Amino acid sequence: MSGWISNFMNHPATYLKAGWVQISVSNLIVILLMLTVFALAIFIPFPNEDSGKGKK
Amino acid sequence: MSKNLSPKEVFDAKPWTGKLRSYDIIKEGTIAVVVVALLVVSLSFLFGSPDEKSLTFKGWAESNSDNFYATAVQELAGTSGTATYGRPYNEGSDGLNVGPLFLQKWAGVTHRIDAANNFVIEPLMNQVQTPEVKAALTQWSQASVDARTKWATTYDDAITKAEGKLSAIPAGEYGPVPALANGLTQMAKAGSLDAALLSQGGFFQTDSTKQILFFGDGAYLDDAGTAANLQGGTWGMMNETGRYPGQAWLWLYSFWYQIPPFTNEESHPIGANADVYIMVIMGAMSLGLILIPVIPGVRSLPMRIPIHRGIWRSYYQSEGIKRRRK
Repeated sequence: MSGWISNFMNHPATYLKAGWVQISVSNLIVILLMLTVFALAIFIPFPNEDSGKGKK
Repeated sequence: MSKNLSPKEVFDAKPWTGKLRSYDIIKEGTIAVVVVALLVVSLSFLFGSPDEKSLTFKGWAESNSDNFYATAVQELAGTSGTATYGRPYNEGSDGLNVGPLFLQKWAGVTHRIDAANNFVIEPLMNQVQTPEVKAALTQWSQASVDARTKWATTYDDAITKAEGKLSAIPAGEYGPVPALANGLTQMAKAGSLDAALLSQGGFFQTDSTKQILFFGDGAYLDDAGTAANLQGGTWGMMNETGRYPGQAWLWLYSFWYQIPPFTNEESHPIGANADVYIMVIMGAMSLGLILIPVIPGVRSLPMRIPIHRGIWRSYYQSEGIKRRRK
C-alpha cells in the first residue's frame, strides 16, 4: 500500500510514559473510542422508546 | 411438582405481565454485521496493515556480522537460547516451572531441533562451499562429540571474554569452529541461509520455527523488537509496529510484566519463570470472571453499580420500579 496514510501509519509511534506505565498514542485513541462507544450505548435512548408501541 | 419449587423459582415461572415490545433479533444482528463489515472494509482500504521490512539472515549478517558469527558459535557449542530451551525442541533444560510442576516437560519434544546441526552444519553441507569450509565440515563430522564440544565451548568462552570483539580473540584450540562460523556468516551475507533454513521440510514451506529460533538467539531480532517498542518489559504485548494500534485488550496480561518480581529474570522462582506464573495468574483471574455469577458479593455488584438501570431507564421509569435498598 502506498500513499500518505500508509507513510504516516508506518512511522514510529509516539509513546506516552509515566513511570512504568507506557502506552502508544494509537492505543490510547482506540481505548478512548471504545469508552466513548460504551458511554453512548448507555446514554443514547433506544429508538422509538417513547412512541407508545409497547403494549400491556 | 410445584411443591418442590423455591419462592424464586415460583416467581420466575409466572407468565410475564409487564409491558411488551416487538423485537427482531435477526434484523438487528444483520444490521450489526453489515455495519461492522463496512467499517472493517473501509478502514482496511484507508489504513492498510503494518508494512514492516522483513528481517532476514542477510540483513543480520550485514548489519551486525560479529553478532551473527558469535551466535553461530553458540549454536555449535550448545549454549544458545534454542539449544538450552528444553521442550518442545530438545532436552536442553527442564524449562519453566511452577513449584514442582514443569509444564514444558508435559508436552515432551514435539518439534526436535538440534541447534548445531539444523542451524549450522546442515545448511553449510547443503551448499557449495570453499575448500576451507569443506575441510572444516569434514573435520567436524569425523570428530568425537567430546572434541566438538571442547572446540566450540572454548571458542564461545573466548568470544564472551572478548565481549564479542572477534579481533580481540587470542589464538587457541578451536578446531574447525572459526571456519564453520565464518562459512555460515558468508552464506548469510550472500542471502542463501534464509532459503536453506526454510527448505528443510516438504514441498510447501510454511514452518518458520527454525529461522525464528535462530533469530531469537542473537541480538538482531531483540534489537528490532526494542526499536519497535515490542519488548514485554515495555508493554510490548499491547503494541504494533509503526503507528498502528495494537492489542489494547492485553493490558492486564501485559501489566504483570511491568512489576516486580516478574521484571527480574534472575530472581527465583517467580522472576525466572515469569511467563508461566503470569499464565497461572491470568488463568485464575479468567476463571474468576467465568464464575462471577456464583461468587457472593461480586455477583451482586450490578445491584450496587446499576449500569443496566441507565440503559433501560425508560422501562424502570414507566414501570415505577425503584432501586432495592438494603
